[in-house]
Amino acid sequence: MDNNNPLSPHIQIYRWHISSLVSISHRITGIINIAAITVICFWIASLLLGETSYEFTKIFLNSIFGKFVILGLTWSFSFQILSEIRHLIMDLGYGFELKITKITGLIVIIGSFVLTVLIYLLGKQII
Amino acid sequence: MVQINLPENSKVQKGNYYEDKTGSKNIRKVNIYRWDPSTEEKPRLDTYEVDMDNCPSKVLDILNKIKNEIDSSLTYRRSCSHGVCGSCAMNMDGKNGLACTTPHAEIDGDINIYPLPHLKVKKDLIGDLSGLYKQYESIEPWLKTNTKVETTEIIQSKKDRAKLDGAYECIMCACCSTSCPSYWWNGDKFLGPAVLLQAYRWIVDSRDDERKERLKKVADELKLYRCHTIMNCTNACPKGLNPAKAIAELKKMLATS
Repeated sequence: MDNNNPLSPHIQIYRWHISSLVSISHRITGIINIAAITVICFWIASLLLGETSYEFTKIFLNSIFGKFVILGLTWSFSFQILSEIRHLIMDLGYGFELKITKITGLIVIIGSFVLTVLIYLLGKQII
Repeated sequence: MVQINLPENSKVQKGNYYEDKTGSKNIRKVNIYRWDPSTEEKPRLDTYEVDMDNCPSKVLDILNKIKNEIDSSLTYRRSCSHGVCGSCAMNMDGKNGLACTTPHAEIDGDINIYPLPHLKVKKDLIGDLSGLYKQYESIEPWLKTNTKVETTEIIQSKKDRAKLDGAYECIMCACCSTSCPSYWWNGDKFLGPAVLLQAYRWIVDSRDDERKERLKKVADELKLYRCHTIMNCTNACPKGLNPAKAIAELKKMLATS
């Protein structure tokens, strides 16, 4: 009888807060990063095919879409690194108070964008 | 398994609208999840217009007012109304808590009230917690002594007693466990924050002799390590406890023992 009873709403109604957002983003960026590393491996392997394949990737990476992909991946890696550091600290048993999780969560979110900009500027040799 | 969408029989439909009959100018809309097991209908969201001029401060007061004055068929659990018994745990404004200790003034806009998330609904706001109680039983939440004679007092130092602070206050209202996405997806295996906090409470109790066995029992990929520090549990706890930290302490004990 019980199995026919409805399931109460869960993710549809539950309110997001900073820690849960960071947690889900950590997962999503993790999956993106694995895919990205695979693509990078193929890209490097393709260099063995000679100049034409090098030219092809160069054109792609210099296109607007290519730049968007590069910046997106830089953010994704930045986020993953900062969030991983947060996880490491939590694994040591620190930073579980609600206020502190909020602060560290915000640091991860804002820091990931700051880090992306920093890496971009470094790459452009502006700083 | 992760199942984002609700099953077909659980999709919430638009429900009835109960207009205010008191003529009050201070009205709030309250949306409440309804499901009646005696009908074949799907769950629905009923809307009540409630006269706030004559309503005390907590969400439970709104529910009582609706049940007494508007719709007596509304079903929910409540008992002490002082945040001690844990009966009126439900999801209000997207966050789990006790209806009797949550002020409605802190909720902006319409008040949405659902049963605790990802439970089989028994009726309206009552979810089936039997799975959680079974898990609670599985950690054997009672003192186990091998050496001491039962008739003598087991002495505990103040320091050892202090280790139980933040764990013994738990009222098992299930706000934390039903707020946890890991518990939603793996509730059959993952013990969930409420039960793990209790497991921790017995593991750190200096009077208990079976610390090692208890730790060993809880050391399991699914039982314990499904916690990914999402922090919904600590965020939801109406008693201000920190199940996430207790789980982290358990993981730490296992890593260092």
